[in-house]
Amino acid sequence: MSQNRMLAILLGVLAALVLVVGGLSAVLLLSGGSDGGSDSASDGSGSSGAIDSGATSGRLRLPGGDPITLDPALAGDAGSAEYIVELFGGLMTLDPNLNVTLDLAASFDVSPDGLVYTFKLRDNAVFHNGRAVEANDVKCSIERATERRLASSTAAAYLNDIVGAREKMAGSAQNVRGVEVVDRKTVRITIDAPKPYFLAKLTYPTAFVIDCQQAESNPRNWTLKPNGTGPYKMREWRLGERIVLEANTAYHLGAPKVSQVLYQISGGSALTRFENDELDVASISVNDIDRVRDRNNPLNKLYTESPSLSISYLAFNTKVPPFDDVNVRRAFGLAIDRQRIADVTFNKMIAPATGILMPQLPGFTPDDKTLKFDPEEAKRALAASKYAGRALPAVALTEIGAGAEGAIDTQAFIEQWRQVLGVQVQIKQTDAATFFADVDAGRLQLFNSGWIMDYPDPENVLDLKFHSKSALNDLDYENATLDGLLERARTEREAPARLRLYQDAEREVLKDAAWIPLYFARQHVVVKAAVKGWTEPPMVIPRLRFVSIER
Amino acid sequence: MGAYVIRRLLFLPATLVIVSFVTFAIARFGPGDPMSVAAGQLRDPEVLERARAEKGLDGSIFEQYGKWAQRALSGDFGESYSIQRGRTVRELIMPRMWVSAQLNIIAITLVFAIGIPLGLLAAWFQGRWLDPVITSMLLGLSAVPVLVVIPPTLWLFAIKLGLLPVGGWDGVLDIYWIAGVIAIPIPDPHLYIPIAVMTIPGFAGVARLVRVTALQVQLEDYVRTARAKGLPERQVALRHVLPNSLLPVVTAIGLSLAGVLEGAFFTETLLGIPGIGSLTFAAVVSRDYDVILAVTLILATFFIVMNLVTDLTYARVDPRVRVGASARV
Repeated sequence: MSQNRMLAILLGVLAALVLVVGGLSAVLLLSGGSDGGSDSASDGSGSSGAIDSGATSGRLRLPGGDPITLDPALAGDAGSAEYIVELFGGLMTLDPNLNVTLDLAASFDVSPDGLVYTFKLRDNAVFHNGRAVEANDVKCSIERATERRLASSTAAAYLNDIVGAREKMAGSAQNVRGVEVVDRKTVRITIDAPKPYFLAKLTYPTAFVIDCQQAESNPRNWTLKPNGTGPYKMREWRLGERIVLEANTAYHLGAPKVSQVLYQISGGSALTRFENDELDVASISVNDIDRVRDRNNPLNKLYTESPSLSISYLAFNTKVPPFDDVNVRRAFGLAIDRQRIADVTFNKMIAPATGILMPQLPGFTPDDKTLKFDPEEAKRALAASKYAGRALPAVALTEIGAGAEGAIDTQAFIEQWRQVLGVQVQIKQTDAATFFADVDAGRLQLFNSGWIMDYPDPENVLDLKFHSKSALNDLDYENATLDGLLERARTEREAPARLRLYQDAEREVLKDAAWIPLYFARQHVVVKAAVKGWTEPPMVIPRLRFVSIER
Repeated sequence: MGAYVIRRLLFLPATLVIVSFVTFAIARFGPGDPMSVAAGQLRDPEVLERARAEKGLDGSIFEQYGKWAQRALSGDFGESYSIQRGRTVRELIMPRMWVSAQLNIIAITLVFAIGIPLGLLAAWFQGRWLDPVITSMLLGLSAVPVLVVIPPTLWLFAIKLGLLPVGGWDGVLDIYWIAGVIAIPIPDPHLYIPIAVMTIPGFAGVARLVRVTALQVQLEDYVRTARAKGLPERQVALRHVLPNSLLPVVTAIGLSLAGVLEGAFFTETLLGIPGIGSLTFAAVVSRDYDVILAVTLILATFFIVMNLVTDLTYARVDPRVRVGASARV
């Protein structure tokens, strides 16, 4: 009896094992022939009739996320901006080549002293509800964005050149003095100094024109169905499920070609859904890149790679030991082999940064201005520091993240610092809230971060992140020479001279090793063959109206 | 009984005050705040100061709690500061909680509908080969974690066979029209994978529980008495064994129902289901105070009420248990 029972138990365990292991190995076996398999899935006929994800012509299906807010005055993240640039518009915009061009403005004039900008509005520029855009709308949009009550961090960063905007934000003025309505279609904006990058700043959402009446009448929920001026209108937003945009056929720069854009917010891996013909575009992660690069894989023909105006970096707090010594900072930069990490760890999906200014940004030069991997030089730098001959204070690298392991490149850095410099660096992971609080309190010695350009001008990163008086300089970094260069660049009206000043500023920052630039990001996507005119611009700009679908 | 219920319910507000204050304090004593998360890289200390003042986040913790409680009593649970700026907590939480609840209710129904008969079956076959086969298979099924099951399942049913969508959510029922006249409601294809993943470990656990109790009950005196007085085996099984072996199941059902509003975090995240689990996680890491607080309070209230309901049900089905009788014992 007991023998039979033992036998039966074994049989049961075996059955369970067969179920689990059998299932898994069936999956693994089948995956051996995945090329043929995904062939049938990606042509669309593989999906069953039960799933209607709307593969009708004229409908573009994109992966998406819930925007944190669709209020142009508040949004500061790329995820929200992606929708905002399609729903709204401002006086100026960026074309796919990142040139600053006219949007709601039909023309503009700059006074000889470079302080006064006069914009003429287009006659055919209308809100989604058909109302014409007038000078008043521009004025009230800027005044709303700078209201104290709204406490907008983007307005504080990007509208502060307008005369009177600071006072309005601080609550000491009722109006923004520098914005005047000349007539129904003319608006005049006065800025505090002749800053050539001011027009570029106007392409950022916080300067966009909104329907103030709508925002006032329903302050909490107006962005659910915003009355914007952009190429697309909001048709439906179901939180966590989907966003549906509909073409604005009256758009002043030409009606969009795709009548409906569906952003699928829920759903798992975008690439898997792309292969299952649920999406038209999907980005590729480092786990999938080999498969997509394989020329025999059908995904390969749909794959494109493009640069992005963003940079990741290691930042030092220059007031906290041991990074209060430039030699220690340099040693840490010289000891890491970014090329190898980009090639091996990231499978060549990103490129080592050659400086702070990214390719495609005015002022970029292709020569490598960063610290090159040189273990001997790194050791010499450490030996030249004031910490030579004695133990370094304990060092921790902090990054945003959750999980037992650090980011894959962080682990490589830690290992290289240990091997080259003999320094044991600790990894600390925190959530975003803790991270920002610690950075702001100057509690972090060394942290991993990144910057995405908000407008294509070197001022947007160099002045904002490194000027000693900038509110966004989170390094406690001060350099009088650098400040001087940046201040001259602000008002230098000759473009070549201005860019040279920024190049000098970039060198100054790198000489001080306040940042160790790590990588310039690149975008890797697959796009269905039926989608024409898709672009992956290096920053968030309106692009949907150029897309068409030929199914 | 009525007095008992009232007494239990009187504890509810007190519990909620404690729960809300503790949650409130923990969230606010944590480093960072939602304003800095919302500002991200554009954190200007001066603007953050202003933003905190505008939202009333600059007072002492008691002051802030007082203001919050006052608003909450009037039904206003506040708004999201960082994950969905400006949205009211109500419109943020309700749809997500409803998604999780639908999934959980379906899963729980299946868990017990499959688990109970399976457990009884195993008990019935005790001593024969089928019992250990079922039991050990159940052990195996309940031991495989969700994280391991989901990827191969997705790969097989969505990518390879193209039968099911990879993830997402599109409601519970689809209407299938026959000849455009007869409407047949069918479960939405997005449901199958999450439901399977949530149900299998659950029913395996329930079946094992039922099997063990059914076997214990078989040995009870009253079963022996029933048999001794010559009742047919069928009646012994249906009248005496079955109801008594289901007693612990009542607790299991009660505990499961108390979790109806909770989200299944891994399942929701991996399958991209907009439920409350993923929302809560996002709210916690972004210090979205009002959202964290509202979710905690809803769950606490629901848990307390469901516990009460379980206790009352227990008293009805098990004559040995008397609620509110402690004073008389």
